[in-house]
Amino acid sequence: MRKLTAWLFLAPALILLAIFSFWPVAFGSLLAFTDYSLIRETHWVGLDNFRYIFDNEMFVTGLKNSLLFLLMVPFVQIGALSLAVLVNNQLPGIRYFRAAFYVPVVTTVSVVGIMWGFMFHEQGALNYVLRACHLVGAPVGWLSNDTLALFAIMFVTLWRGLGWYMVMYLAALQAVPADMQEAAILDGANRWQRFWKITVPMLRPTIMICSVLSVLAALKAYQEVDVLTQGGPMNSTFTGLYYAYDQGLKHLKLPRALAASFIVSLFCIGIALVCLRYLKPKHR
Amino acid sequence: MKPKFTPYYETLVRNYEAANPGVKVEWVDFPWDIIQTKLVTRIVAGTPPALVNLNVPWADEFARDGLLAPVDKLLGEARPRYLASTLQDLTFNGKTYGFPMYSNVAVIAYNTQIFKAAGIPHAPRELDEQLLFARQIAARTGKAGLCPALSKIDGLMMQQGLAVIANGKAVFNSPGHVALIRKLAETYKAGGLLKDALFAEDNFPAAIDAYKGGRLGMLLAPPTAVKRIESDAKDIYAITDVAPAPLGPTGIADGGWLIHYAVPKNVDAKLLPAIGKFARYLTNDANQLAFAKQASVYPAMAQAANDPFFTTVPSNAGAAEKAVAAGAVSMPHSHTLYVAGITDYDELRRYLVKAVEAGVTGKQDIQQALDQAVAIWNKKLAAQGIR
Repeated sequence: MRKLTAWLFLAPALILLAIFSFWPVAFGSLLAFTDYSLIRETHWVGLDNFRYIFDNEMFVTGLKNSLLFLLMVPFVQIGALSLAVLVNNQLPGIRYFRAAFYVPVVTTVSVVGIMWGFMFHEQGALNYVLRACHLVGAPVGWLSNDTLALFAIMFVTLWRGLGWYMVMYLAALQAVPADMQEAAILDGANRWQRFWKITVPMLRPTIMICSVLSVLAALKAYQEVDVLTQGGPMNSTFTGLYYAYDQGLKHLKLPRALAASFIVSLFCIGIALVCLRYLKPKHR
Repeated sequence: MKPKFTPYYETLVRNYEAANPGVKVEWVDFPWDIIQTKLVTRIVAGTPPALVNLNVPWADEFARDGLLAPVDKLLGEARPRYLASTLQDLTFNGKTYGFPMYSNVAVIAYNTQIFKAAGIPHAPRELDEQLLFARQIAARTGKAGLCPALSKIDGLMMQQGLAVIANGKAVFNSPGHVALIRKLAETYKAGGLLKDALFAEDNFPAAIDAYKGGRLGMLLAPPTAVKRIESDAKDIYAITDVAPAPLGPTGIADGGWLIHYAVPKNVDAKLLPAIGKFARYLTNDANQLAFAKQASVYPAMAQAANDPFFTTVPSNAGAAEKAVAAGAVSMPHSHTLYVAGITDYDELRRYLVKAVEAGVTGKQDIQQALDQAVAIWNKKLAAQGIR
């Protein structure tokens, strides 16, 4: 009876999830193996779409770039945790700092694109400052140099994500029991020891979930690419998901887009499982 | 089209219904980015619209997918009244797939102060001169001279008489093509080309911003751009003059982008004569002229295109009025430069643009970059069965 009641309570959410999440994912994955088109009869084509996309330089570059985005994960997590520790202090005006770090999270991607477009422009603010400080001679093509552009986009993604993870770490930090810290102080532990021996272990579940979310966000990066470079220069900023978006929504090649999304999803699942395996708290 | 052209279309529809009792017309407006999906969905659902507003590349793709009906019979006696170039743009495999409505054409707006400082006496008359002037501007003023849309390099090649595909094979690695890219590379190296978004799919916003900011000597754009300069940057507008864009050795004008009305497949066959009549009404001289005046575009009907509105320049004309007249001179030579009949053309073009970008920016030898792109094209064209 108790089991039935539990299922009844879960039913509304499960029905909504089934309709809007599970079914589209399952149906989309299935269509990746077909030549689905609105205008023709659909046929099963096996791995043709996958062969096509793996034969395509833009997708292969995109996949490599999606994996390169993972380099950002440690920086985001260490940055967010450091920020959270900083703004966890009860200092005058600290709420304004917290809000300031959170603003990029709630700023729409189009505004972010325009703003960073101005910053990264060859005649833009960043080059102006760098040249004024005599750090560079000629303007740097942050978004027009095929070696730099991806890293510039990764920086914007990092900048946007930092506040989000900071808030999660802040919430976790504030849940660390004060008596544990006090007991450690009485035992003579210094700040550094308290941080490593008490705070970090207590934060481990949050670190795990933030790392997994951050890995998934890195593999799924595409919005910043769309607003800043549209895959250029020289196709160097394509990501796996941007390729899927480009094929599916710009060129209406849905099966190829679904195949690309399928591959990106496999990577997401695989890497998330690895993170869960190695970051999972050993003791509760 | 909404809301700016709502009164125009509502008046058109009202007048047509009054003159044709029993006919009911419904005008539906969708943003460009969802038109394709909406149209395909409606055709598949068996409820296609009687007429749909399309551009040439979409018409080509839809026609290949068998989603459009040829309109040769419906054009009837109105055919000779359309500009021949516009009908040619809509003819695929010997059949015409639309009623031409309007197009655009580029003019050269140039900053007379920059020209004077660079010692340039007149507007450029051909591409070589454009590039020479751009280098001269860079050398003498430190500013960029020109901002060509290099993401549409295929169009520029065709305008210069250099084929992209011949006999089903990519041929854009010939000595002529290499020479064209080399000229662009030399101009780029000399600082003559505006680097902002030079290879972006749409570099017009960057180009017009640079021109309005006095950072660009020449702007190759439709006359509407000159109007924007007039409203946004009065100081630059005051020192702007215009000239027709060079036609190139092919006699084709730059900047053509034809918009037309097509008839989707599966419309009720009994309605076709009425649809043809309404399409001819929508695109007749008077209605095209009225629309073109409001939208600052050029009609695809010969008589409307020769209206004094486009051809007469008042004595006190500013750059905007001169631009309209300069564009009218080029309009009969305007074509939508596009390689028809190729599946995944946009994707193939990306390989070409990447090769050109590598060549122009000096990252790779031009011949080598073009050869690599040609090899990819030919592999993909062969897979499509194009030989």
